[in-house]
Parts: sequence; C-alpha cells; structure tokens
Amino acid sequence: MSNKAFLLGDRAVYIAFIVIVLGLPLLISDVFWLNRVARYLVFGMLGIAMALSWGYAGILNLGQGLFFGIGAYMVAMSLKLQSWTSLQQGSDTPVPDFMLWNAQPGAPTDLCCIVPGSWLWIPFQAQWFGIFMAIALPVIVALIIGVTIFRLRVSGVYVAIITLALVLLTRLIFIDAQPITNGFNGLTDLGWLTIGGVEFDPLMIETYYIVAVSVCIVLLLTRWLVSTRAGLILQSTRDDANRARYLGYDVASYQIFFFTVSAAIAGFAGLLFVIVSEFATPTYFDIAFSISMVVWAAVGGRSSLIGAAIGAILINTIEATVSESEMFQQAWRLIIGVLFVLIVLYMPRGLAGLARDILTRLVSLGRTKNPDAANASRNPAE
Amino acid sequence: MFETLFIGLSLTSVLLLIALGLSITYGAMGVINMAHGELVMIGAYTAVLSGIYLGFNIFAAIPLAFLTAALLGLLIERVVIRRLYGRIIDTLLATWGVAIILQQLIRLEFGMTFFGIRIQGLGPGLQQMRVPSYLMQPYEFAGIMIQPYRTFIIVVTILLTLLTWFLMYRTSIGVQIRAIMRNPQMAAACGIDVRRVSAMTFAYGSGLAGIAGVLLAGFRTVMPEMGANVVVDGFLVVVVGGVGSLLGTVLSAGLLGQINGIVSVLYNDIIARAVVFAVVIGIILWRPNGLFSFRSR
Repeated sequence: MSNKAFLLGDRAVYIAFIVIVLGLPLLISDVFWLNRVARYLVFGMLGIAMALSWGYAGILNLGQGLFFGIGAYMVAMSLKLQSWTSLQQGSDTPVPDFMLWNAQPGAPTDLCCIVPGSWLWIPFQAQWFGIFMAIALPVIVALIIGVTIFRLRVSGVYVAIITLALVLLTRLIFIDAQPITNGFNGLTDLGWLTIGGVEFDPLMIETYYIVAVSVCIVLLLTRWLVSTRAGLILQSTRDDANRARYLGYDVASYQIFFFTVSAAIAGFAGLLFVIVSEFATPTYFDIAFSISMVVWAAVGGRSSLIGAAIGAILINTIEATVSESEMFQQAWRLIIGVLFVLIVLYMPRGLAGLARDILTRLVSLGRTKNPDAANASRNPAE
Repeated sequence: MFETLFIGLSLTSVLLLIALGLSITYGAMGVINMAHGELVMIGAYTAVLSGIYLGFNIFAAIPLAFLTAALLGLLIERVVIRRLYGRIIDTLLATWGVAIILQQLIRLEFGMTFFGIRIQGLGPGLQQMRVPSYLMQPYEFAGIMIQPYRTFIIVVTILLTLLTWFLMYRTSIGVQIRAIMRNPQMAAACGIDVRRVSAMTFAYGSGLAGIAGVLLAGFRTVMPEMGANVVVDGFLVVVVGGVGSLLGTVLSAGLLGQINGIVSVLYNDIIARAVVFAVVIGIILWRPNGLFSFRSR
C-alpha cells in the first residue's frame, strides 16, 4: 500500500520536475534569468552525478570538479578557436589571443608552434572534436582512476582523499600550463555553439532548451540505470562490499562503471555550462566547488537522484536572489553552513527523505482516518 | 644544500604542527575534522586580536590561542561531533559546515557588520601579526644564514611533538586514549569514560591547531580563508603517515616537507605541490593504511 504510494509520489515528482523545467520559458520572459536558470539546471545535473556516485555507489568523490572542469575546458577550447579573438590574429588559421601575448618574439603565428604545446589545440579547430572530448576525456580519466583505486580495493575516506588530491593536482597543472590554458584567467571571450549553421546564443530560448532537455534525459537515464540489475548489484556493494564479493559479484567492475558514468555526466555538465556561461576557468577545479556539489546532494537527499538535482537548483536559485547585496551574500554563506550542519545531524536523507517521511505520514493518516472522514462527510448531509 | 634542507625542515614543522592535532583527532576518534584549518585560523586571529587589544606578544599569544581553540574544539565536539561517532563521512560533511560557519563569523565580525560596527582585526580583509624584531633579523652562524623565526617554529614544533608523545605514551590519560584508538567498545568495557576522554582529546587536538595558527601568523597573512588552504595538507600528512601513528605523522611530514622544499628550489612552487600530491596518491595506492599503521576503528 505505502509502497504503491511512494511509487506514485516518486513519479509525480519526476513528471512535475520535467514539466516545470520544459515549461519555464513560458513563465520567464527575461532572457537573462532564463540563462541563469539554465546554469542552475547544469548544477542540478552535477547533483545527479553526485547522488549516483555517493548515494548509490557509496563512493564519496570530493573531486567531481575534475570531470566538470575537463569537460568545460575541452569544449571551451573549440569555442575559443571559433571566436573573433582567435580568428582575427593576422593568421590564416585561428590562434587564441592569449597565445600571441605569451609567444616568443618571431614565433610563427600558427597553432603548430606558436608556444610550446600549442599543437594540442590543433584538433579542436573542429567543433565536434571539442564536444566529443568533453565527454570522452572525463570517461578516460575516470576509467584510469577507477581501475587503479577500485581494483586495489581503496574505499571510503581514502577515495575521498585521493579524488581531492587529484582535483588539486589538476588545478595546479592547468594553472602552471599558462601558455596553453591561459592560467588563472582561463578561457574567455568564447564563440557560440554552432550546429548545422545555427548559432546558439547563450541568451536564446533554444539554448535553454538544449540544457533543459539534456537534464531531463540524463535524469531519466540515470533513474533507469539504477533500477537495472547492475544498479541493484551496485547498491548491494555499497551496503556491504564483502558480502557482494562472497556472492560472486566483481565489486570493482560495478564501482568502476558507475564512477565512470558519474564522471561522464559531470563532463557533459561542464560542456553545457560553457555553452551557457561562455567561459572556463581553473575555479572549476577548486575544492570549494567540488564540495559544494556534495552540499547540494546532501541538502536535496544523497540517495535520491531528483532530490539532489532539486537541492542543487534550489540552493543556487536562493543564492542568486539573496546575492544582490554583498552583506546578504556573506550571511547566506553563514546560513548554508548552519543548514548543512543541521541537515547532516538531523536530516541525513535530505529533502527527499523529508518528502518521503511526510508521504508516509499522510498515507498512514489517510488509512486510519478514512472511516472517520467518511462519517464526517456523511453527517452534514443528513 | 644546507639551506634547501633548512627550508624543507621549516615546511616540515609547519606541516607537522597542523597535522599533529589532526592526527590525534582522526586517529583517536575517527573524526575527519574539516574545521581543523579554521581552528588554525582562529588561533591566528587570537594572536592578532590579543596583540591589538591586550598588547600580547607572540609568546603570550601561544597559550591564549591554545585555550581559545581548545574551548572552541570542546564546543564543536559537544554540539556536533558527539552525535556523529562512527559515521566518519558525516563528520567530514558536518565539520565542513562548521568550517564555513567559523569563516563567516570572522568575516562578518560575529554579526556586528550588520549593525554597522567594525571591529579592528576582524572582517574579510588581511591582518598582520607583529613579530618581535629579534625574531625577524637573520643572523650568521658558522657561515650559514639562520632565520630566527624559522628556527623558533622548528623548536616549538619539536617541543609540542615531545609533549604530545609524553601525553600519549607516558601518562594514564594517554593509555586511555590509545585504548580507545584500538577499540572503543572494549575500552568502555574496561571502565574508561570514552565520551569524556574523547572530548578532552578533541580539545587538545584543537588547541594544537590554535598554536599552529599563531606560528603561521608570523610569516603568512592572516585572513578568514587561510585555514581552508592548510587543512588538506594536514590530511595528506596524516593519511600518508598512517592513522593514529605519531611516528608516522612526524616522518610523513618530514618526507612531504622535504620533497616540497627540494622541488620548489629546483623548479617552482607549483611543480613542488604537484609532486607532493602525486607522491601522496602513490603512497595511498601502495599502502592505503599509510606508512605506519595498525588497524584502528
């Protein structure tokens, strides 16, 4: 009975989410706000990735920003080469403006050898290559990390520390490779995504729809994925890895697979974020950003995909509305800190857990009160 | 050569100071205290504020910072961590929240900013602690330039490490702490008041963070986000050294400090940090329990 109610409630939330996300342009006509919402939807996608690896696989990845950042940089490299800042540098082929500032005097104005390592940019002249790499590279990196740590049966806190160290390491590498990544400043002044001759201005409704549809598809796909046999086995490895091992399952393979899927989602989110925000900076590799993803997932409900997505969107929307003044912004961070401690202490299942508890109450209330309610409704009629 | 080693040694001592308290709280209590860096920050602000309002110099600030950080640590233990024993990942998350709260309290001058009241020495800006000039003037000894402040840090670190060793291995409370590290239920069954000892251990570890803060304030700018940068380094040291092993913590601080020092002299700071991270990842993969460890809770 109550199981059925959960299923119904769950479905209702998913349908409501999708309807609202897709119908939002009807309500919000301000394109700047629509662009902002698109960014928060991307963060919602990061929440989904986090819930998948943390809630379902039990892998607390404190370096999710690694995959987001790589995805963002890959597509940003392609879009940078398409922008006027690269096309009008007095060369037949596009060359990013910052490379000219870094180049040795007399260096040829060509991607092959303007600065050491700039040849890495050559394939990114094709936009599809950047888009492809935005997913492919996070997948490859996640596979390497996953195979190394899960085959060695590293678990729990050590996974968190390794991923944390990795994202910091990557941040340093990106900052240090200043001639080809533009260091602290990152890649700015990007061109627009172009598909079939149509340019996607970040402020267009069509761009919003690219993001909105992507988020909905990712949400439904991951929901399907965790309900498959593989997803169920994964959850059993989270609850007791040794028992799953004794039952004959290759625990590491499941962990590697879902870790990689989570990384691919994060990379995809990075790709979309660059399309709507038009920049990529090393701040994506900051610890604070990676940990905020954990906060979003924890607030929304770490073991609920849609809960984590809603948590991310909610927190960022509130943050945007209160950040009008500097002082409120600081106070908001204080509130987030307090809220987070309270949620970990008293509401470890987050908003999704709260919703489930309320539903349970309602169902049991409805069951016991039903005869009374029927009587009560009959009485006035008499 | 000697100067490179000396730089490495002073980096080591800073790392060790931060890691020492962390090693105790993580090792003894299974608590990942992400707010440890903020306790360091509170120590540094204690030094700045006591310098401004009480005229304390660095020597008087050290015990005061120890007390302040220890009391704050006790409060954090009572309010937050006590409810989370055994949920190690949740301690990481909750103390991250605590860290944000502490940072914002300093930034917002304990909320006074809202009433338009400014407190000198607090707020989002940078602060400086005054260090007596005789600690800043380098002098020559046997043909080698010696930085007295660096030497001071190294000496204080050695003293604190010895004190911690003495507490852990030569006192009855130390025996109790080590018993709790091995097996808290068994320790409780033997009549050890686990809650009280855990609270005191946490307070002591926090106090050490406070002292680290005072010493850091002498050569780094004091700002609200200074703690966030050091806590990760501290954790890497603890994890590499092995949970709950004092010797392991000392040696891994030495290893990472020297690698950092030598590589930053040969190449640059960024490469040095990158190499340190790579070494740490390698060591965790090679020995997930750290260089020196026994199984703990």
